Amino acid sequence: MRDGERARVQHPAGGTAFPLVGRDSDAVLFRAPGREFTCARFLADAHGLAATLPARRHVVNLCQDRYWFAVGFAAALLRGQVTLLASNNSAGWVGALAERFAEIGSISEDPDVKSPLPHHLISPAPEPAVAPNPAIPAERLAAVVFTSGTTGEPVPHRKLWGALAERSRAAALRFGVDPASPIAVIGTVPPQHMYGFETTVLLPLHAPASSWCGPIFYPADVRAALAAAPPPRTLVTTPLQLRALLQASLSEPPEAVISATGPLAPETAQEVETRWGIPVHEIFGATEVGSIAARRTTQGETWTPYPGVDLVLDRNEALVSGPFAAPCRLSDRLEATAEGGFRLLGRDGDMLKLGGRRTSHAGLNRTLTQIEGVEDGVFVVPDDLDARPSARLVAFVVAPERTGQQILGALRERLDPVFVPRKVIRVAALPRNALGKLSRDALRALQKSMGRE
Amino acid sequence: MQFPIEQELAALIVDVLQMETDPAEIAAEAPLFHEGLGLDSIDALELALAISDRYGCDLKSDDARNQQIFASVRALARHIEMHRTK
Repeated sequence: MRDGERARVQHPAGGTAFPLVGRDSDAVLFRAPGREFTCARFLADAHGLAATLPARRHVVNLCQDRYWFAVGFAAALLRGQVTLLASNNSAGWVGALAERFAEIGSISEDPDVKSPLPHHLISPAPEPAVAPNPAIPAERLAAVVFTSGTTGEPVPHRKLWGALAERSRAAALRFGVDPASPIAVIGTVPPQHMYGFETTVLLPLHAPASSWCGPIFYPADVRAALAAAPPPRTLVTTPLQLRALLQASLSEPPEAVISATGPLAPETAQEVETRWGIPVHEIFGATEVGSIAARRTTQGETWTPYPGVDLVLDRNEALVSGPFAAPCRLSDRLEATAEGGFRLLGRDGDMLKLGGRRTSHAGLNRTLTQIEGVEDGVFVVPDDLDARPSARLVAFVVAPERTGQQILGALRERLDPVFVPRKVIRVAALPRNALGKLSRDALRALQKSMGRE
Repeated sequence: MQFPIEQELAALIVDVLQMETDPAEIAAEAPLFHEGLGLDSIDALELALAISDRYGCDLKSDDARNQQIFASVRALARHIEMHRTK
């Protein structure tokens, strides 16, 4: 069996299982400046950490370094603990998880990370005597990821180990990753979100790929990573960062680009393909279901589902299922195309996306009005939100006893930073009609009257 | 603002991020991120591009993680002065 190939095993107790790492012992899984972490090293570090982890049922992984995030996830799995992915790392959001998840704590390797939960600081552990690569049952609950619901409360989505392992395999198949020529993934996306978790943490565990763990955000970081990683290199990024890289210009481009979290303008894809002479692919997915389809942007708007992903369309509503993943409804509306693919029709009206993050508009409003002293409030979405990277939401509040700064402070404690407005506009009353509804026109008129249009 | 580069930088921030603030009202020592101007990571990227274009100074994550640089307009201006090539 070659590195990264199918290694589904029969678990001793019956049922299907997948090894923690489906790679050869000497395969390179992760890379950092001047360092390579092989499967053997990774397993040793995972076992070393697992031995020191406090007994818990749930672990919020607050690791800042990608390698330690991966080790933290593996260690939790070895101890039978469930990893909660903090898509929002504000103290209020993380702390509130304790109300719903018993025996919870957090971990991080970064001493500067503050946590409202019982916290374990990862420190150098003794080299373990043995570091086996166990077969983990497919039905084991490995992680819980969250979306923002209409009540403002996070909605949990369970990820079974088998679902995660199978999806990594499917991605490798879909992108034609060749065991004879493993790819070096350079991901500019954080591991705490489903997209980054799948492409930069899970993929190397099950497919012929290594993941870059050095700092990566600015174009200068990307240049350094490309110079250090061996070809073939795949840049895994977002439309915003891709545009930034085009603007900053890369003298040594990667061999392939994958973009996700939002629609990539065909013109941008074309410019990348022309300037860098490489293919640009997009992944379509959602936190609830993970990555489920891909397309080559310059070849058209049709998406092709990953192998193993099952899509059932009923009047443009999609039910998605896959191995070890129960059917789940998407908030996007889809239309089937002839060859088993689909087109996007547009999102459920309540969902809004900013900076690649998705949230419920109603949920944001709920969060705002639940702040002490806020009698009424609403978030307004600028019309050109999709087009302007610097666009932010605007919030109007009725809060006679609070200042705008106090409300902003309260929002920062509860929301992902990208949804926090630059300022909060205090008004005497919101222009609700006789039925208590706020129309876009009424809000636009309000904005105009405040001289903000 | 004491130094011309601080005034320039304040104007650049307001311009690039399309903020409604008057650059003259930005205190040189006020926090840029989370509080103060309340900038976030998307803003950081836009700003990094503009600073690279204007001053030929390429920001790297290692620099940024050294919190000092993004502590205020003054701190950022100081970093630019030390590394600018334009």
